[in-house]
Amino acid sequence: MSEILKCEEITKRFGGLTALNKVSFNVVKGEIFGIIGPNGSGKTTLLNVITGLLKPDGGRIMLDGTDITKLEPHKRVKLGIARMFQGMRVFPYLPVYLNVELVARAVYNNARLARAKTSWALTMSGLLPEAAELPIKLTPYKLRMLEFARILVSNPKIALLDEPFAGLESSEAESMIDLIKKFNSLGITFIIIEHRLRYLMKIANRVMVLNQGVKIAEGKPEEVVKNPQVIEVYFGGETRK
Amino acid sequence: MVFAKRSTKDLIIGKTPFFAVLAGLTLLPLLGVGGYWLDVLTKVNLFLLVTLAIDLYSGTTYYLNLGVSFTFGFAGYALALLNIYYGIPIEYSIFLAVPISVFFSLVILLPSLRIRGVYFAILSLLIPIVFIGIVTAQPFSLYLGGEGGLRYKQLFLDFARSLPPGIRLTFLQYSYYYISLVAAVIGYLIAYKIGFSEFGFMLRAVGQDEELAESVGINTLKVKVIGYLISSMYVSVAGALYASMRSPVTVDLVVPANTLVPPLTSAIVGGLGTIIGPAIANYMLLLTYESLWGLIGRWRVIVYMLLLITIVVIKPQGLVFRIYLDLKKRLRGVLLE
Ligand SMILES: Nc1ncnc2c1ncn2[C@@H]1O[C@H](COP(=O)(O)OP(=O)(O)O)[C@@H](O)[C@H]1O
Ligand SMILES: [Mg+2]
Repeated sequence: MSEILKCEEITKRFGGLTALNKVSFNVVKGEIFGIIGPNGSGKTTLLNVITGLLKPDGGRIMLDGTDITKLEPHKRVKLGIARMFQGMRVFPYLPVYLNVELVARAVYNNARLARAKTSWALTMSGLLPEAAELPIKLTPYKLRMLEFARILVSNPKIALLDEPFAGLESSEAESMIDLIKKFNSLGITFIIIEHRLRYLMKIANRVMVLNQGVKIAEGKPEEVVKNPQVIEVYFGGETRK
Repeated sequence: MVFAKRSTKDLIIGKTPFFAVLAGLTLLPLLGVGGYWLDVLTKVNLFLLVTLAIDLYSGTTYYLNLGVSFTFGFAGYALALLNIYYGIPIEYSIFLAVPISVFFSLVILLPSLRIRGVYFAILSLLIPIVFIGIVTAQPFSLYLGGEGGLRYKQLFLDFARSLPPGIRLTFLQYSYYYISLVAAVIGYLIAYKIGFSEFGFMLRAVGQDEELAESVGINTLKVKVIGYLISSMYVSVAGALYASMRSPVTVDLVVPANTLVPPLTSAIVGGLGTIIGPAIANYMLLLTYESLWGLIGRWRVIVYMLLLITIVVIKPQGLVFRIYLDLKKRLRGVLLE
C-alpha cells in the first residue's frame, strides 16, 4: 500500500482552544477516505491545514513523499491537492468558464492546454451550456458542479471535499456520488468530510472519526459505526439509521 | 468553442465612442480651444492615468491604495531633484523619475500588501502625510524646497525661448497638450488590454475572494505585487509628466485632496473594474469641476464637496458605466436598422 497523504501529529490551536490535537492518519492512493465528527470537531480546520490556509502549531504533512508542511497554498495545488469548500465558494462576478480557466492557467502555464482542460472539465460536470453565465445564475447543484469542475481541471492527486452533499436534493447527491466514484476509478484519491453518515457509508473505503480535535476511531465504515466510543460522542448515545 | 466571436460590425460599433472621443480631443486645439481650457485638458489627460491606475488595481482587487498621491508627488519630486542636483535635462529626468518613484512606492507599501481593508487604507493615507512632514521640516526643507517647492526649467522651455515671443506660450501649451493626449491614449489602450486579460481576471479573483484564489492555485501575493507595480507605474508617469510641465513642484502634488480624491471619485462613479467607465467619468467630473470655477469661483470647492458627499450618500457606483452601456445599446439599435 502506498500512501499519498500522511498527516503526522497535526496540532492546531486557536488561542486557548485546541482545534486539532496530535491528529495522525494516512490516506492510501486510490481510496475514498471519509472524515466524520460532530460540528466543531475540527474537520474543516484539518482541511485548512492540509491545503495550507492555516499553519499548524505542530506536526508534519507529506504529500506523495514530499514534506509540504511549510508550502504556500497555491503551490500545493500544483503538487496535486484540490479542494471543495464547505458551503459554495466561487468567484461570483467571473463567468463560469473563467472560474475554471483561471485554475487551469495557474496549474499549467500554457494557455492552449488550459483552455482545452477547461472545456473538458466543464463538459464532465455538465456545465458547458452555462459556461458564459455568472455563477449567481446557477442552482446549488450546478454550483457544486462548478466546484467539481474546478477540482477536475487541476488534475489533482487528491481532492478534499468539505460536506459536498450539504444542501443537495437526494437525487442530486446521488449524481454527485456517481461522479466521485467515476473519477475515483480514474485515479483521483478523495477525502470527504460529512457529518451525516448516510452518503459516506456508501462510498468511503475507510473513515476517521474526530471529536473535539482528537481522533477517536479509524477503520472500515461498518466497523467504525459499531465502535462504542463513536456511538457515544457521535450519536449522543442513541443509534440512528 | 463556448463563446461566439464578436462580429466585425459589433467591433466597429464597440470602438465608435473611443474613436469619436479621440478625434474630438485631437482636434480641439485646432478648433480654437486654447489658453486656460487647454491647460485644464492637459491636466485631465494626465489624471486619466491616475484614474486608470486606481481602477486597474483598487477597482479589481478592492485593496484601497490611498498612497496614490504619494507616488504622484514623489515622481514629481524625483524629476525635480534629478534636474536640480544632477543636472539631468527634464526630458531624461521624466524617464528616470518613473522607475525611482515606482521603486520607492513598492518598498514603502510592500509590507502593507498583506493588510486588507481599512488598515491598508489608513496606512496608505499616512504615507503622503509623513512625506509632507519631511519635505517641510528642517533640515530636509533646505534640499526639498519646503513650502515654496522646487523650481527648475520645465519641459521644452529652452527651445521655446528660441521662438518668437508671440508664440512661445502657445507652443508650450500645444506641445504639453499633445504629449498628455498621447500618454492618455496609450495608457487607456494598455489599461484596457490588461484589465480584461487573464492577469486582469486574476486581480479580480483576488478582489472577490482572496483565500479562494490562493486555494485554487493563484499566487495571490505575486498578482498583487505586479498589479501594484503596474498601477504605480501609471501614477508615476502621470506625476512626472505633470511636474515636467509646471515648475515648481510643491507638496500640493502629494496632498490626497488634490491628486487622490478626484481620480478615486472618477473610478468609483465610473464603475470599478470597468476601465471605460472611470475613463469617461474622469473627463466628465474633472471638466465639470473646472467649469464651476468660471461660474462660482472659489465656492466651487464647497459645491464639489457637496457633490462628493452626495455621491457617498447615494452610492452611484458604476453609474457612468451603466449609462454608457445603455447608450451603446441604443447606438447599436440605430446603426443596425
Ligand atoms: N479561524 C478560526 N479562529 C478561531 N477558531 C476557529 C477558527 N476556525 C475554527 N475554529 C474553531 O475550531 C473548532 C473546529 O472548527 P471546524 O474545524 O470548523 O469544525 P468542523 O468543520 O468539524 O465543524 C470550532 O470550535 C471552531 O469554532
Ligand atoms: Mg466544517
